[in-house]
Amino acid sequence: MRGLVVALLVAGSGVSAQGVTREEGLAAWNRIYAVASHPRCTNCHVGAQEVPMWEGLTYGAQARHGMGVRADSSRIGAESIPCRTCHVTAAKRAVPAPSAPQIEEAWRLPPVALDWLGESSATLCAQLRDPALNDGHEIADLVAHLTSSPFVAWGFAPGEGRSKPEGSAAEMAQDVAVWGAAGSPCQ
Amino acid sequence: MKFTVNGKDHEVEVEDDMPLLWVLRDELGITGPKYGCGIAQCGACTVHVDGVSVRSCQLAASDVDGEITTIEGLGGPGALHAVQAAWVDHQVAQCGYCQSGQIMQAASFLDLNPDPTDAQIDAAMSGNLCRCGTYPRIREAVKTAANRLKAS
Repeated sequence: MRGLVVALLVAGSGVSAQGVTREEGLAAWNRIYAVASHPRCTNCHVGAQEVPMWEGLTYGAQARHGMGVRADSSRIGAESIPCRTCHVTAAKRAVPAPSAPQIEEAWRLPPVALDWLGESSATLCAQLRDPALNDGHEIADLVAHLTSSPFVAWGFAPGEGRSKPEGSAAEMAQDVAVWGAAGSPCQ
Repeated sequence: MKFTVNGKDHEVEVEDDMPLLWVLRDELGITGPKYGCGIAQCGACTVHVDGVSVRSCQLAASDVDGEITTIEGLGGPGALHAVQAAWVDHQVAQCGYCQSGQIMQAASFLDLNPDPTDAQIDAAMSGNLCRCGTYPRIREAVKTAANRLKAS
């Protein structure tokens, strides 16, 4: 989709065929990065390290998930203790910290390629706009993920005692759509 | 609400959000699973749902989706599960309070990963706390059970 949008950009005007300016796209990207770099997202978007984080709670910066858990290569902890042993699959209840969060989907880590922990805006932008770097997600796929994933919905309403990013999943999805329509500018 | 526990069907009238642990202990009188923390931080309440370890204090009754196995159904005196037998051989328990959770966690773990590394054993069992500090014996018993299960 990005290639199509870029192709449709009106040369020299900075305005896409959908009427989205580059400036509007960059503003949307900055809001996207503010969310994507929040601990509520990066605690699980940990890339190859396979150990989730517990930042954004009361354990301090760079705190790793307790109890020695490892998601391992399965990304669901099948080699040791499954994530869902504690993060039970259940109807959504915003259980307060420090109870293990639960959603209506099997708890797991995102794909390794979607490594966001500690990444800069430029790195994350380059990753998210390129399906070759982001596990095959086009802009439309990212929008669909934001609007339908129980993980994302929980991240914006994680329950008492847990920090959360600004905005909502719907606003994030809108920003990604705008960013994509503007040609996915990074800077 | 209907539950299948240790191969037996039960029907109880409980609130949707009653933790499975209380269904087992208070409604069905199955007291092997223990209450420790109530927030999935200690592992004393561990049972299996369709063979996978679950902290029953965190799972609401209406969210149970599968057959439940407790320590009472894992194995009995005449037919111990390999993990239970290893626990006896290594005399793992001290006060014993956490041990049903430890054994249920270990049994599920070895079912998923029959040939674990030491690091995987530590990772699998680190969510089950033991205030008596029986961890070295737990680790050895898990290794013994793994070897026996592989040989059988």
